[in-house]
Amino acid sequence: MNIRIVLKYLGVPLGILGGMLGLPLIWSAAIARDGAHVAFIVPMAIALLGGLALFLLVPVEKRSLSRREGLALVTFTWVSGSLVGCLPYVLSGTLPTFVDAFFETMSGFTTTGATVLTSIGGQPPSILLWRNFTQWIGGMGIITFFVALFPMLGIGAARLFEAEVPGPQAERLRARVVDTARTLWILYVGLSLVLFALLSLVGRLPVYDALNITFGTMPTGGFLHVGDSIGAYADRPFVTTVVTVFMLAAGVNFALYFFVLRRRSVSALLGNPEFRLYIGIFVLAAVLVTTDLMSRLGMPLAEALQHATFQVASIQTTTGFTTTDYDLWPNLARAILLCLMLVGACAGSTGGGFKAIRLLIVVRYSFRQVVSAFSPRSVMPLKVGGETMSESVVAAIAGMGGLFIMSVVGGFLFMSALGLDAMTAFASVVATIGNVGPGLAGVGPSLDYSFIPDSGKLVLSFLMLVGRLEFVTVLALLSASFWRWR
Amino acid sequence: MYIVIVGAGAAGFYVAQLLSREKQEIVVIEQDEEAAEQVRRELDVGVVVGNAAIPRILWQAEVQRADLVVAVTGVDESNMITCFMAKELGAKKTIARVRNPEYSGYLLVGGKSPYATRKVVRPRSLGVDLFVNPEIEAAREIVSILSGLYVTPMEEFADGRVQLREFKADSAAVVGKRLSEIPFPRPCTVVMQGHGDVIGVPAPDAMVTKGDRLYLVASRKDMDQLGAIFEVPRRSPRTVVVFGGGTIGFHVAESLEKRGVQVKLIEKNVARSQEISSRLKRTVVIHGGRPDRELLADEGVANADAFVATTGDESLNILAGLVAKDVGVSRNIVVVDEPEYIPLAEAVGVDVAMSPLLLCGSRIAHYILHGGAVAVALLGKEDAQVIEFVVGANARISKQAIGELEWPRHAVIGAIVRGDAVMLPARTTTIEPGDTVIVAALIDEIPNVERLFKSL
Repeated sequence: MNIRIVLKYLGVPLGILGGMLGLPLIWSAAIARDGAHVAFIVPMAIALLGGLALFLLVPVEKRSLSRREGLALVTFTWVSGSLVGCLPYVLSGTLPTFVDAFFETMSGFTTTGATVLTSIGGQPPSILLWRNFTQWIGGMGIITFFVALFPMLGIGAARLFEAEVPGPQAERLRARVVDTARTLWILYVGLSLVLFALLSLVGRLPVYDALNITFGTMPTGGFLHVGDSIGAYADRPFVTTVVTVFMLAAGVNFALYFFVLRRRSVSALLGNPEFRLYIGIFVLAAVLVTTDLMSRLGMPLAEALQHATFQVASIQTTTGFTTTDYDLWPNLARAILLCLMLVGACAGSTGGGFKAIRLLIVVRYSFRQVVSAFSPRSVMPLKVGGETMSESVVAAIAGMGGLFIMSVVGGFLFMSALGLDAMTAFASVVATIGNVGPGLAGVGPSLDYSFIPDSGKLVLSFLMLVGRLEFVTVLALLSASFWRWR
Repeated sequence: MYIVIVGAGAAGFYVAQLLSREKQEIVVIEQDEEAAEQVRRELDVGVVVGNAAIPRILWQAEVQRADLVVAVTGVDESNMITCFMAKELGAKKTIARVRNPEYSGYLLVGGKSPYATRKVVRPRSLGVDLFVNPEIEAAREIVSILSGLYVTPMEEFADGRVQLREFKADSAAVVGKRLSEIPFPRPCTVVMQGHGDVIGVPAPDAMVTKGDRLYLVASRKDMDQLGAIFEVPRRSPRTVVVFGGGTIGFHVAESLEKRGVQVKLIEKNVARSQEISSRLKRTVVIHGGRPDRELLADEGVANADAFVATTGDESLNILAGLVAKDVGVSRNIVVVDEPEYIPLAEAVGVDVAMSPLLLCGSRIAHYILHGGAVAVALLGKEDAQVIEFVVGANARISKQAIGELEWPRHAVIGAIVRGDAVMLPARTTTIEPGDTVIVAALIDEIPNVERLFKSL
């Protein structure tokens, strides 16, 4: 592996990030006039100049990226992006300690939405806008943006792209990776614009609110510029409904939207086995939670249904918005939400978690093991939607399941060692690894992550990144053989 | 341009790689899961897994909007059927690799005249626009190199009026000089200079070091004289030893034999050697396997004019070529599969290494006409191309003096043909509509060159 080539190309996403900092800067200087603009100018200068210097000054021979270099570049991009992106919090004084700011930024970029901000209300609007904007950037991914905009890496681009797009196989919608990345970003921007237009034109929300909700919803992020999340819009059922629908939409594989648009028929979407499972889980969970709320809390049907659908959609898509403190709900409802955090949304969406398609395959794989115990000679290809999954894909998913479990267990033990009670420790790990945000108990929706010691925050930040890049990308860099004999 | 490539074997992979570097939209159809996975991993192209001779699979690859379908699986019949169905579905052009030369041959069939021969397989009626046969192409190329004055490969442009020839800098007349100091006996343009792995447009005062490859464009009548400063012209060979009696070896022997050359062919398979022996008239077929000194010396390789190694095993070919050189043959030509091995083989003592794949790629590249381009040749491994353009009446470049053009940095005009006259470019030369312009360019620069030849 040639570290120089990684550094050179690291310059491009850094530069892009510098450009992205322009939005909160303009907002701060021209619209909100909250005096926080210096906090953006400094990181912007660092990112733009540093990125340019890396790209132009690091000498490398002209060639494509190797596999190792691709993995390293993706991980370095996310880490360095968070290091630069956290500067506005530090410089504006919103989060004076570096670890807090880093946690908040990583939480944003990975679309987790776990916060250490204790008071959201009093912060400069531009800082809160940046906080939400990081989620929107991270939703489709800065590497995907890089690949779409700067077609300079040839096949190396495909390796980067596959490392960042969630799911067992990064689907190439178009023959070329550059076109695929562009298509995904166009779909993402398009859906964001629709949501923004609905909120601001039909919902009559102020531009700032509509912008922040869009930046929180489309990437299934979970940050919001108000303390009590979507609960602040409880008097506007339109907003809650639109957000519910778009959270669910953002949790669907974006490839399906492309196929629907291209073939001009919705069968690509409705016939997709993962989409069916995803919607099935949503309906089942919503019904169970509604009945639980009605029977245990005596909530009227309409209210129970509204809270249940919103909260199930929010947790299942790993967004993490709340309309109410679900930690006060009965045990079954809380348990269902915890399970949904583990499952997550669809592959190829902006959501996190284990992904519905993987669950589907792992379940079928497990049942096959059971059958083969009494009928070892039966031939049982693993089929999903009529297509046989190749054993290598199945093996990769089983391996990913193992990594997922190991990471959860490891994180749980570490957080418990820091003195957290079992429920809080477990929920904090699940909510960060699945990029959900709010968990249960001590990290429940009405609370935050600020009380966790610094070492815990760093481990959780790491878990967020591991969860967003789906384990192998980051863990590859931690394996000794990655660095030895390169 | 949307191109569907069927079959991800060596040829399919190579063509896909070549075309994806030109930023074309490409989908590869491959039946074998593992080969498909390799394409997915290493090339920026779409992949469809399945048998392309099934309409459903072709449809899945959206063959109906394909500008070109290239069928290069190992099975001739499958390639033809695939092209046929692709055409039926709406593909614009199709190319099939057909290895068996009998398909394109003439056959004596009963008819009105008892001696009438005709082609039974006519590509057009099968929906195939072009048959390519890498082995036959390779055999032809070998024979053309052998019968030329110089050992290095040559391409023709503008109906043969202009030649492009690669020369190796070896003689005192060129080594250690700047390009501008070399006393070329006839006018020519040095369009590209290859140094080791790198190829590029040379500056006028570029230094020529030993072993560099110089690509010259000149009028056909001048080329033979030009070559004299690089190497001593050779007479056509009278005795040739061919090592390996596969398709390539057989066809080389057959056409050399027709030209009156004495040929010895060494083949390791007994049955095959008997078959060759019965099909060729004057060629001496020798049964032998390993290319050791003893065998080659015994068969008089030392006194042969040329040694050609054409077995299916590229490493064996290179070794055989080296042993033959060691024994004392004056020129050797070897066939390799992997184009990357060409410079390596030529560095260790092979005069000419050639790859059927590269030739196949060249033929297909010919077919994917660049803008107003009519003919294409690949240089080096595949980093540069020489393209022949015909200037349209409204082309951007038309009616402009070369000195005033904003010409791309990594491209150069080799020659301009107006009517029958071949002109070399000067700053004052004006390009007129109807001219044929021969341009050499690095692959990445080709789109910029094409732009100049597009209509305003």
